[in-house]
Amino acid sequence: MTTQTVAPEQPPVAGPDRQSGWRRLLDLVLAERVALLSVLLVVVVVWFWVMGRQGYLVAPYDVDYLASALETLVPLCLLALAELVVIVSGRGGIDLSVGSIVSLSGMAFGAMVGLWGWPVLPALVVTLLVGVALGAVNGVLVAYLGFPALIATLATYYAFGAVALVSHDNAPISTKPIQDVHSLTQSVTLPLLGDVAPDLPLQVLTFLLPVAVVVWLVVNRSAYGRRLYAIGTNDVAARFANIPVRRTRFLAYVTSGLLSAVVGVVTVAQFASARPDAGSAGSGMALPAITIAVLGGVAISGGIGRVAGVIIAALLVVWLNAGILLAFEGSDGSQFQLFALGALLVLSALLNAYSVRRGRGAG
Amino acid sequence: MAALTRAAAAPRRPVARAVEGQELALVAVVAVLWLALSVGTDTFLTSSNLSDLLYSVAPVALVGIGMSAVIVTGGIDVSVGSGAAVVMVVVSKLIRDSGAPLPEALAVAVLVGLALGIVNGLLIAFGGIHPIIATFGTLNLFRFLALRLFDNKQVTGVPDTLAGIGGGGAGETVGVPNAWWVTMLLAALMWVYMRYWATGRHWYAIGNDPAAARLAGIGVRRRLLAAYALTGLFVGIAGCVLIGSGGLVQQNAGTGLELQVIAAVVIGGTSILGGRGTVLGTLLGALLVGTVTSAITLLGWRSELTELFIGVAILVAVGVDIVRERRRSAA
Repeated sequence: MTTQTVAPEQPPVAGPDRQSGWRRLLDLVLAERVALLSVLLVVVVVWFWVMGRQGYLVAPYDVDYLASALETLVPLCLLALAELVVIVSGRGGIDLSVGSIVSLSGMAFGAMVGLWGWPVLPALVVTLLVGVALGAVNGVLVAYLGFPALIATLATYYAFGAVALVSHDNAPISTKPIQDVHSLTQSVTLPLLGDVAPDLPLQVLTFLLPVAVVVWLVVNRSAYGRRLYAIGTNDVAARFANIPVRRTRFLAYVTSGLLSAVVGVVTVAQFASARPDAGSAGSGMALPAITIAVLGGVAISGGIGRVAGVIIAALLVVWLNAGILLAFEGSDGSQFQLFALGALLVLSALLNAYSVRRGRGAG
Repeated sequence: MAALTRAAAAPRRPVARAVEGQELALVAVVAVLWLALSVGTDTFLTSSNLSDLLYSVAPVALVGIGMSAVIVTGGIDVSVGSGAAVVMVVVSKLIRDSGAPLPEALAVAVLVGLALGIVNGLLIAFGGIHPIIATFGTLNLFRFLALRLFDNKQVTGVPDTLAGIGGGGAGETVGVPNAWWVTMLLAALMWVYMRYWATGRHWYAIGNDPAAARLAGIGVRRRLLAAYALTGLFVGIAGCVLIGSGGLVQQNAGTGLELQVIAAVVIGGTSILGGRGTVLGTLLGALLVGTVTSAITLLGWRSELTELFIGVAILVAVGVDIVRERRRSAA
């Protein structure tokens, strides 16, 4: 990060080098993260499908299995999109607190539906507002008070997580009304396509798809999206261009809080229980989300990142994990998932650094 | 006029800055807390409680010594928790299965930690990967390695080979845990090194402006590699302290250590943006976090509140720093 950023004495390489078709394809895959990830995704799925056919897996790796694996895609992908928005906003943008917001907003949802007997819809709206408020705390700290994002969200990770644990005496809420919410995430047969398409987890259609489309529209097709990339690319230039830098950055953290609250609701429904440690159990939800965002081509320095890249990266990780789970007996599978995630992240970052250097050398 | 007085006062600044303002404030906060707890509870000011407190702070402070150097260079290492798990499983199996003595166990721990740190350093300094991305990756890879070594079983029946730097009475000298003596000794060495040695000052230069540091002839890559390798070395020692008097090493060992360490470093006044910070501050930050944890237990409050207080402490410490920095640049 430190030594490659400035290379003033490198002379520009003169003359275009003749490239064969393979060379150009390689360049495309190196330069276009979406292309690289798509190729990897196809390779992974075909590889495991063949392995399944040859009988190396403990269960068939077929379309139905892939569809049911999408259940784990929803929280991962939504949080990775949250990280996309925050990291793109630049100046070291990152949100470590997403897991704690998932826990806390999930507990709020659980209390409203499970303890106070609210109907689901108003409870959902209030939960999203809770997410907005928690995200706004991060936003004020980072955008208006000038805290480094890593520190501000580390602090709120601790603080929100502690409040979630204390809120219901460290006990999950799983009363009858909460268990009924599980119907939000049951497996459904698609109308019309029911014969050819596999059953999908409902939350993919009701939560993930609409949210992903809205995020794509906001990031790529709105004035706010352009401002977001502008402040992420160059804070000072954006200010000179009369962009409200602070408000734009503030809203990025609010968006992250909102998306985390959506995940909070989905998680409660999925497990039919509001758990106070839903988003912070183990090493938490933030780390995988950041990993997937970066794997999807989001530059940690800000200003670069595409929604399509993040979604394909999330799919890649989820289907790779699903395959690994079938390839090993017992808990070995979950261990190799850690390996795959770490190796993918490091290799893709190395590739990034390599292609940036190559690009600079040739340009 | 203002510039003139500042210029006149300039030669005195190094002396006045031997202890930074933030460190004095931390000393005051810790002192007030200790005083209040001694008066408020009759269990705090007992030698066994203070000894427990210092022992529990030691691993965080030890890793914090290395982490201070890393953060001063403008980097970060979030893989230390997983690294500690690798060290703990290797060392606990070594002393259980081959009956290795303490020096050998310590040497193996340091070497394993060093190797893990060098992996991080190579990826960051020579692979050109952003520190947080690289160490997020190795966090997963090291945890995978540790779990493979655990082989689906926690390590039980670990002998008390390392009790000398462990918790109980066997690991104390003059009522203070040996682990804490070791921590203070290493912190003092590191404090002197980062303050007076040229290569130590290079870390600050890199944190302030890596490009300028390189143009000034500093071997930026080698200095970065050294910082991460050193952090790995301290992770090795901390792993031994965590094994302590033996017994059981669980598979989730070290989980969350990275955040505790980063919290201690930041509360200690080290700037996450690099270029500023001291090991002394980190030691005090770790002590503050340990004191708050101990206080909440003694007062019978809910243990979950500890994390709330850590969060608030981070915000206050960094907030004060931001205000001071604004004043300094406005003056």
